[in-house]
Amino acid sequence: MSRAIWKGPFVDGYLLKKADTARASGRSDTIKIWSRRSTILPQFVGLTFGVYNGQKHVPVYVSEDMVGHKFGEFSPTRTYYGHAADKKSKRR
Amino acid sequence: MTDRILIARIGAPHGVKGEVRLFPFGEDPLALKHYALTDESGKRRFKVLSLRPAKDHFVARIDGIPDRTAAEALTNTDLFVPRDALPPAEDEETFYHADLMGLRVEDQAGTVIGKVLAMHDFGAGDVLEYTPVDGGKTLLLPFTKAAVPVVDVPGGRIVVVPDATPEEAPPDEADQG
Repeated sequence: MSRAIWKGPFVDGYLLKKADTARASGRSDTIKIWSRRSTILPQFVGLTFGVYNGQKHVPVYVSEDMVGHKFGEFSPTRTYYGHAADKKSKRR
Repeated sequence: MTDRILIARIGAPHGVKGEVRLFPFGEDPLALKHYALTDESGKRRFKVLSLRPAKDHFVARIDGIPDRTAAEALTNTDLFVPRDALPPAEDEETFYHADLMGLRVEDQAGTVIGKVLAMHDFGAGDVLEYTPVDGGKTLLLPFTKAAVPVVDVPGGRIVVVPDATPEEAPPDEADQG
């Protein structure tokens, strides 16, 4: 069963406070969080969170497309290195 | 920076006409048809004549492999492509992972602090993972101009701004999972 709409999205309270502080300060530091279950809200867009995966904080840059997903979806707990092959990365 | 890049691996034979299973590792598997491929030693050359998708792999016909017996001999052969054969990156902010991996990691003062281990993309921006010189856990940084201001591939180094966020314990109400 899906979550009741009247409750609104779930977000851990401490995470909201940290995000508000970061937005107010205007700094681009990584916000370390442990709450993988929290929903990504529109006011988080543009912030970078360090989402704990049980070992380390994985940097998660929040974009518009990620709103509504949970933080844990972007911080895998098992890492497969694979092969570099011809894969590329673009620096933002 | 490496001279040759592992781009695919040949699997078991497929059928009796010399076709093989092919497991590509690159972004565009069909580009394999245009590369001059070699084995690990670089002595034996391969040319992919045709390529078609199957369940979780591709089925390829390779030049000079006429039957199943010849195809069996190629099982588990790694296919490499010369780094020079890859097309240039789209712009100066785009880098091949193969070029970045192994680069020296320096802080802004020029002190060597590690070596690039891998690049990741978990769906929320590219992430650079490096191994510290003094050992211990690997560290992750977002691959941004703020965190990685200099990428000097010819010079074999990148300059990073290490994460300055102080270590902290998880809040009491935090989800530990």
